[in-house]
Amino acid sequence: MRLQNNWLTVAVIALTTLIVTKYKSDGPWADSYKWALKLAALVIGIRVLIGVIIGVPVPGTELFNLPLIPLPHWMAGITLGGAVTWERISSTVIESFGIASIIALFGAATALTNPRALLRAVPPMFYEVAMVLVIATTLTPQLVSNLKRIRVAQKLRGINTNRFLSWRQIAMPLLEDSLARALDLAAAMDSRGYGVSRKRSKYRPHKFQIKDAVVIASSLAFLAVSI
Amino acid sequence: MIKFQNVSLIYPTAQKTILDKLNFEIGEGEFVLLIGETGIGKSSVLRLINGLVPHHTGGILAGSVEVGGISTRTVRPGQLAELIGIVGQNPINGFVTDVVEDELAYSMESLNLPEDTMRKRIEEVLDLLSLNQIRNRKIATLSGGEQQRVAIAAAMVLHPKILVLDEPTSALDPVAAEEVLAILQRLVHDLGITVIIAEHRLERVIGYVDSVIEISADGNTRIGKPEEILKDSKIAPPIVKLARALKLPEISLSVRDLRKQTEPIRTSGKDVSPTQETLGRNVIQTKDLSVKYENKTALKPISLEIKSGEIVALMGRNGAGKSSLIKALLDVVKYEGTITKPSVKIGYIPQDANDLLFHQSVEAECAQTDRDNSLAPGTTAALLHELAATVKIASHPRDLSEGQRLALVLAIVLAPKPDLLILDEPTRGLDYESKTLLTRFLTDRAESGAAVLIATHDVELVAELATRIIILAEGELVADGSTMDVLLASPSFAPQVTKVMSPRKWLTIADVLKAIE
Repeated sequence: MRLQNNWLTVAVIALTTLIVTKYKSDGPWADSYKWALKLAALVIGIRVLIGVIIGVPVPGTELFNLPLIPLPHWMAGITLGGAVTWERISSTVIESFGIASIIALFGAATALTNPRALLRAVPPMFYEVAMVLVIATTLTPQLVSNLKRIRVAQKLRGINTNRFLSWRQIAMPLLEDSLARALDLAAAMDSRGYGVSRKRSKYRPHKFQIKDAVVIASSLAFLAVSI
Repeated sequence: MIKFQNVSLIYPTAQKTILDKLNFEIGEGEFVLLIGETGIGKSSVLRLINGLVPHHTGGILAGSVEVGGISTRTVRPGQLAELIGIVGQNPINGFVTDVVEDELAYSMESLNLPEDTMRKRIEEVLDLLSLNQIRNRKIATLSGGEQQRVAIAAAMVLHPKILVLDEPTSALDPVAAEEVLAILQRLVHDLGITVIIAEHRLERVIGYVDSVIEISADGNTRIGKPEEILKDSKIAPPIVKLARALKLPEISLSVRDLRKQTEPIRTSGKDVSPTQETLGRNVIQTKDLSVKYENKTALKPISLEIKSGEIVALMGRNGAGKSSLIKALLDVVKYEGTITKPSVKIGYIPQDANDLLFHQSVEAECAQTDRDNSLAPGTTAALLHELAATVKIASHPRDLSEGQRLALVLAIVLAPKPDLLILDEPTRGLDYESKTLLTRFLTDRAESGAAVLIATHDVELVAELATRIIILAEGELVADGSTMDVLLASPSFAPQVTKVMSPRKWLTIADVLKAIE
């Protein structure tokens, strides 16, 4: 598959959007696809802008002409400004769509993967690492809501919370709160037998099914063909 | 079952001893309540039982703690997981997974139990705690009472012989609290489990427990039947205080028994006319105020006004829209409708008073308040001295007792003389003494012309404090009236004194005393 084929990339983005809207979970990470799309749009915008300003002259239908800015001789081969042709814009757009589709695919993967479900599927040797990630994904939204709560309380106390220097007054209660939470969680895990047994059993473990194998095999085959 | 012998606990860096020579013994199948003033070390005692103290927190432990014949000194808390289940003050902080069923499986996975055992036990505990309806729900979306039940269930899957809970009902509304306590009582009666809880709101739990352990400030520990201990304990629920105030020969813990003893008082007492409040101007007025979050209506259109001199209690189940109403009044959330507040200064005390404090000393906090509100230097400190003379100006805010910290936060918020004071569930973790303090300050404020809006689940506080009650349910205003009318109308909201003295309209002990003068 060549990324330069813009119809294909548009189709890929459309398809992932469809899949994500249909199957996305309600976890805090579910919005990541939306953010990935925004990032992709930004990337396209920047790429096109750069393509218009700095560019390799491509002959064809001229759309408009920017004043040519002379550059020192050691930067030969790069031109600033100059004639902007339809072909030049379309080639940058096609190129940036390729990057955008990759970003969208990563976003979709994040949006569709429940880290806790992933935890059930990981082999025992990665359990500790996965556990840390899972706890982090739970605590991040809590941190954001705590931050909001503290800002509101302090704003109403009459303290200016918009100043850049106000980070300390926010950070103190936030840090204390987060530490207290972390200690609570550690105490709870400790008293519930975490780490007592060297081996862990799994409740509702994720079992590999035929469809998982089919997906993996076909992806590998597709990869081989496209290379 | 549990044996404390000469238990003392010290943290090396702290000035004072946390626990001093504690001695008591708890038998199997008992429902035990631990009482004592805030900061006396109740949480430490609870965590000593499964060894979280000192294994998890550090500190020096003298004496011996034996549980089921095992000394907690020699084993880690995790190894006692099949003997002791523990539920912390904020169960939500202790959840490791995000779905109810997975949470229940967590401890069993840690102990490497086979999958079929796990399945069996989970079904068992889902039935035991009536959680079957919510087994696939996300924990974050559950109500406070449901979360508390999940936490209990997560401890129960290992079939422990002892269950320890730290303030299991402090965050719950009266109805949810009853549910949780009834479940605990069932565990004691049907399964013979030993349950130990610490709780400030004695009025809620005293009817359920078999014995009480009292830790006094002078280091004495007593254990005994609730009636014995509460006869002369410093901390007592309103029903006991009523019996003491009436100088009855013996105290009783059930409304029914006290009703029998107070029959003559009910027939002979005079009517107490509620003191006519002279209400001032409108401090804040809402018209069709509603709050919507993304796709959910949190508050349906509400029109109300609060006048100066009023103390309004905002009540209702968790998730009924209390916070949304407060946030809208504070103008920190998007709302529809109008809020009229003619040049009103609002003071706000959040649920967690620590959110406001960030300086290294009480003095610095007070100075900050003076600066922020362009008050004369020393104004806030003077007010604090008036509220609580014992607070040392150089101490760190985190080192203050619960009551002292409340005084500090009140001083900070009250210094600029707000016309409307809004408090969001300030009574979590407050003992009776701090609540008396709070009642006094707020009544003072209201008398000098401020309006107070306080969100709380604490009916006893409301009976003492409020002049008017607003009850929300599912985002709708279901009741708005004088404290007397609203509290008398609903059995689950009636304070203990009213339950005893019904049908007479007496809300507080002071009312009763006035009636029999």
